[in-house]
Amino acid sequence: MTGFESIVGIDPWTALFTFLNMLITFAILAKFLFKPIKKMIDDRQKEIDDKFEAAEKAKSDAEALKGEYEAKLEGAKDERDRIVRDAVVRATKREEEILAEAREGANAIREKAHADIEQEKKKALNEVKNEISSISIGIAEKVCEKEIDEKKHRELVLDFINKMGEAS
Amino acid sequence: MNGPKIYFVIPVLGGIPITQTAVSSFVVMLILCTAGILLGRNLKKRPGRAQVLTEKLVGMLYDLVENTMGKHNSYWTPYIGALFLSSIFGSLIGMTGVLRSTTSDLSTTLTWALMTSFICWGCTIKNFGLLKFLKGYVNPMNIISDVAQPVSMAFRHFGNIMGGGVLMSLLYSALASVSVILIGLVKTNGIVCACAVMLIGAGLLVWGLKKKKAVRGALGGIFILLGIASILEYLGVFTGVPVLTLGIPGVLSLYFDIFSGLVQALVFSLLTMVYVGNACPPPQDKKVE
Repeated sequence: MTGFESIVGIDPWTALFTFLNMLITFAILAKFLFKPIKKMIDDRQKEIDDKFEAAEKAKSDAEALKGEYEAKLEGAKDERDRIVRDAVVRATKREEEILAEAREGANAIREKAHADIEQEKKKALNEVKNEISSISIGIAEKVCEKEIDEKKHRELVLDFINKMGEAS
Repeated sequence: MNGPKIYFVIPVLGGIPITQTAVSSFVVMLILCTAGILLGRNLKKRPGRAQVLTEKLVGMLYDLVENTMGKHNSYWTPYIGALFLSSIFGSLIGMTGVLRSTTSDLSTTLTWALMTSFICWGCTIKNFGLLKFLKGYVNPMNIISDVAQPVSMAFRHFGNIMGGGVLMSLLYSALASVSVILIGLVKTNGIVCACAVMLIGAGLLVWGLKKKKAVRGALGGIFILLGIASILEYLGVFTGVPVLTLGIPGVLSLYFDIFSGLVQALVFSLLTMVYVGNACPPPQDKKVE
């Protein structure tokens, strides 16, 4: 039997077929198309979000490290300045010490020289005195032609010389 | 104009008629399922062209559903998508000329509309409780609205597609008879007239092409065809060639078959989304007035 349905009619069997077809279409599209695609989109979105987050974190970490290193660098600069300053101070002090030592040494040498000179002078003077007294005694012996008491005489002459030295 | 043709009847359960609609619906299902399985296969993190396009379309459907029904109803997208695609392909499959549009059969649209209604009722009971659902019918006008809703949805979709089909077939027959009359008119005036019509057509076509005016060119084309058909008629090779049905119905078909099919599919899906969305409020609004 073939023929036509009425133009505005409902055939329950066609309705049933349509219903079943719709259900099958829905089930298959949902399982094989919509859900996998949605999952893929969401996964990719998540991955992108994660990557961005990681990048942000890495950037902030780098910023922090940079700040830390800059602070360290600043500290190192201070340290360097301090060391240089200390070294300068120490060097100055050492310089003064050395200078003072040198001056002291020079003074000591000079004083020693002075003392030596004084001593030599005294020694020379004494020798001269002795020489003079010997010569005087010789002269006096020649003059008096007689031996006088050597000891007494020497005292006499020396006394004379000393008085002369004081007077001059 | 007839309803869907009954191909044969399976002689069980009092006779199961296999209509054009049933066959078309089956074909649409096969097309959609095959396409769905093929497009949903081998998804990659770095998509190819086909996957990008598929993701775009599926994403658009998800966006549409989320914008209309709210984010919490995103899981309805597969059903809405299946409905939308079935409707579009069901309407467009009528353009093959072999199969009839599934949506120009009231059986199809009413089934879909009733599915929407049952989903709404089910969701209302699930989300608001049976008592609340029954309380809604204290006012008997709600029964009318519940009946009117699927009926209006079904008839709107059915009427638009069916009406488009009727108009198109009317147009075809009208153009055929007009062309027969025109050819007869030219023929009675002799072969010279036919040649003249052809020359005028050629002139119009060249003029239209030179000035880049589509209407003049098209008119010229029609004149040429008319002239050729008249000559053939005069020579007795063919008789009654419906020359005017070439090209002209295509313009109207763009509206009645393609545009109307898309719009009705969208309207049907949107209405379904709105009704189901009302029955599935955001989680915090459940059990509240």
